[in-house]
Amino acid sequence: MTITRDTIRKVVLERGKAMEHLMLILRDLETLSGNNQLTTKTLEEVAEEMNLPTSAVAGFVGFYTMFSYKPRARYVIRVCKSGPCNVMGACTIFDAIEKHLGIKPGEATTDGVFFLEKCECLGICSVAPAMMINYDLHGNLTEKKVVDLIERYRKQKPAVAEASGPEVEGRECIVKADGQTKRLTGAIGAIDPLKIDSYLGLKGYEALKKTLKEFTPEQVVQIVKDSGLRGRGGAGFPAGLKWSFMPKGDMPKYTVCNADEGEPGTYKDRILMEENPHQLIEGMTIAGYAMGSQTGYIYVRGEFRRAIDRLQLAIEQARSKGFLGSNILGSAFNFDIFIKEGGGAYVCGEESSLINSMEGKRGYPRFRPPFPAGSGFQKRPTTVNNVETYASAPMIILNGADWYKSVGTPKCTGTKLYCLSGKMNRTGLVELPMGTTLRELIEVYGGGMKDGGKFKFAQVGGTAGGILGPDLLDLPLDIDQTIQAGVTLGSGVVLACDESVCAVDFLLNVLAFFEHESCGQCAPCRIGTSQLHRLSRRFAERRADEGDIDRMIGKTMVMKKASLCALGQSPVMPVTTILKNFRREFERHCDSGHKCPACDKTLRRFYGTA
Amino acid sequence: MSKSPDATLVQAPGVTLTIDGRTVVGRKGRTILEAALENGIKIPYLCYHPRISRTGACRICLVKVNDTMFKTACTEPVAENMKVVSEDAELAAIRKDILEMLLSEGDHNCLYCDANGACELQDLVKRYDAQMPTGEFPRRKREIDEASSKGLKRNEDRCVLCGRCVKACGEIQISNVWQFTGRGSKTHLTSGLFEKIGDSPCVNCGTCSQLCPTGAIMPQLPLGNGFNWELQKESSICIYCGVGCKIDFHKNKEGMLVKATGNGDGPNEGHLCVKGRFGFDFMQKPTRLISPLIKENGEFREAAWEEALDFVAGKLKKIKADSGPDSVGALASAKCSNEDNYLMQKFVRAVVGTNNIDHCARL
Repeated sequence: MTITRDTIRKVVLERGKAMEHLMLILRDLETLSGNNQLTTKTLEEVAEEMNLPTSAVAGFVGFYTMFSYKPRARYVIRVCKSGPCNVMGACTIFDAIEKHLGIKPGEATTDGVFFLEKCECLGICSVAPAMMINYDLHGNLTEKKVVDLIERYRKQKPAVAEASGPEVEGRECIVKADGQTKRLTGAIGAIDPLKIDSYLGLKGYEALKKTLKEFTPEQVVQIVKDSGLRGRGGAGFPAGLKWSFMPKGDMPKYTVCNADEGEPGTYKDRILMEENPHQLIEGMTIAGYAMGSQTGYIYVRGEFRRAIDRLQLAIEQARSKGFLGSNILGSAFNFDIFIKEGGGAYVCGEESSLINSMEGKRGYPRFRPPFPAGSGFQKRPTTVNNVETYASAPMIILNGADWYKSVGTPKCTGTKLYCLSGKMNRTGLVELPMGTTLRELIEVYGGGMKDGGKFKFAQVGGTAGGILGPDLLDLPLDIDQTIQAGVTLGSGVVLACDESVCAVDFLLNVLAFFEHESCGQCAPCRIGTSQLHRLSRRFAERRADEGDIDRMIGKTMVMKKASLCALGQSPVMPVTTILKNFRREFERHCDSGHKCPACDKTLRRFYGTA
Repeated sequence: MSKSPDATLVQAPGVTLTIDGRTVVGRKGRTILEAALENGIKIPYLCYHPRISRTGACRICLVKVNDTMFKTACTEPVAENMKVVSEDAELAAIRKDILEMLLSEGDHNCLYCDANGACELQDLVKRYDAQMPTGEFPRRKREIDEASSKGLKRNEDRCVLCGRCVKACGEIQISNVWQFTGRGSKTHLTSGLFEKIGDSPCVNCGTCSQLCPTGAIMPQLPLGNGFNWELQKESSICIYCGVGCKIDFHKNKEGMLVKATGNGDGPNEGHLCVKGRFGFDFMQKPTRLISPLIKENGEFREAAWEEALDFVAGKLKKIKADSGPDSVGALASAKCSNEDNYLMQKFVRAVVGTNNIDHCARL
């Protein structure tokens, strides 16, 4: 269908003319286009209707990988190639699609039905390898399953979101094993995420009632401080302290939830949003009260249709029951929550990029100061926290700070959602006290290495995280002890790899990811990620020399010192830790005669060489 | 271009800090870089420019703050008792690394570049002894568009993606023609909606070319050519409108105009419009009119001043007699002196007898 001017006018009117609505307007129009394309004519007319410069729309579309102004097809098949999927055989999925449809990434079938893209993490890593067809996610892929799915789509399009594969549904991605300390995930399975009464039946919104009745905002901040709750997005900044930075006064203040869960291997926030959306809404409302904020935004990555739909429903239910809106529960407190969507950019998980993206701009991080608490969304005071962080607030209020501190380590209290993926017999989400060891996670909850394979290393904390060899199997994985050991807990990802995984191939995948996801604003990251990708490819191609190892480290060090945001400062961790553990393997790859089927496969699939 | 005087900042209280052991006074709200430049300490930079908002993207101005932190001097506000190291061996090495990265990303060959000798990247390459790229990291070809626009040339292979042009267009000219598109190592500039400059909404003010630290965006040459170090600069006031912008004219050894740039000391603070930047080539053009022309039978022929003036006077008298004085109007020119313009209105009012007189500067 061609997009008429009237359609554009209608969509713009519905979503709002302000620049901050650009993402949703373009998403609507792209869906309406029927071939997943935003033509330059459409973009020009959108710019006119929104009174924006055409260049702003061009810059926006060029930044977010989910959009394209070039022709695609009725169905866009995005196959994930990030860490967990790569380890679990993403190459074979591309092979299967190429065999069945005869298309390579970036190509469409001649009948205009399918278009293939390679993409980075889809957030369903426990069922890797994975792909997304338009907005439906599918996991546990095999060659046969891919072919069946494609044929199903060819015949009839299933409904959006809820028609994603049953294996990717939140509750299915939780490890069913005893011994967990179920706090955040306790109600999952018992609660119907589509019904607010179901949540209310399990003490839902009791914490909000208690907050409004018994505590002043300052007391709420103090309780959260006392609980020791630290940010669960990766940096581990104390949540109560962050909330206390918000200025006092009557100006508009924003409570923003970072649900742009893009760190490969992470899928905890998706599960919390899909299976217990009211827990997040309640937590954000409590946080909003504590910070004197009246408006909340949840920035959800665009790939999470089911989470977006369920949150939207939950928000409407909460409004109708008086948990959101004006004079909540008869108090003088007003608060409402709105959803913003992402467009396929890892860097938007960085809080200042996220804020720019919320404003309808390219997701460039901002320099600090000013910090978001001083000047964030629309230049107003803003606090950004992770889903897991906000979702922890209701139970802290209900049970008290001491109860919360009763598990975990002294400086990292509470439970942590660990996301298991990779070569384990059982992968999925587990909730355990902070400081659980890697060995326990793999052997007890992961059911040991897959098919009796030998543990080689695990990447903990996502693609930006460090590589833990067998020597760190007994390291308690909390925020501080990992840092002392030169690695990071990050978002709680544990990607386990056995002896079949080549360290060089693994690092090549990591560095390709960073080049793809660098925003391009600051020079060291934009060029550094590209050069690191090149250097690691030389090892995979077995034409590197040993000096390249130190050159890689050197580049990451410059990036660490000079990059604007955490993305450019990140590659140093995976690069140095993998080289510390597997330097010999890299040296072997300097020999042009060295055989490595894993590298060959990657080179053939993604680089068209070897 | 000089910084526009901002009353609130001029009066802002002083903040005492040390830069390289020297105690200096900065002003509250200003950055380390601004405090350093005001005190003659030359911290290098590429994306910073006093006329645009802070960017912090090139990372060249990285300094050490309080011994431990690396901060970009262009974004970090001065603070009381702050201790800044503007350059040491480590910082110089980082700067050299970043410069070499930038060189390898583009195609920087001064031999063919109009900016040669007036290039901020070239100055820094010299200062930090950055080496030519070995070619091991293949560069991405970017757009070269030297013909679509009458005002500007664009060679993105010389671009360092500092973003000055984007902000010059968005914050000074408010045309918003330039923007970055793509992402990561594929980031590049676009004018309008993936258009060539000539097809975009660009009004050819050329401010982007004046702020560009390299030769990525350059003005088209009006008349002459010459090496930047041979050019002679003369300042003058624009003749086109009432703003009175100050312009620097650059002429080559032969005395021909090579380019015009905005002078920061004028009311324009360095900015120019299309007329100010490009509207001066008529002076030295060989096609310039030097005697009056009268059209007869569809052809122009040269005429003497006497004959031409008699001809015009006769026509004006006839129009006035046939249709009344209000059927005549006059538009005076900013290229003439005040006295000339005074006489023009006197002539129209007193001799022709109408108030139909206006001036091109009344924009």
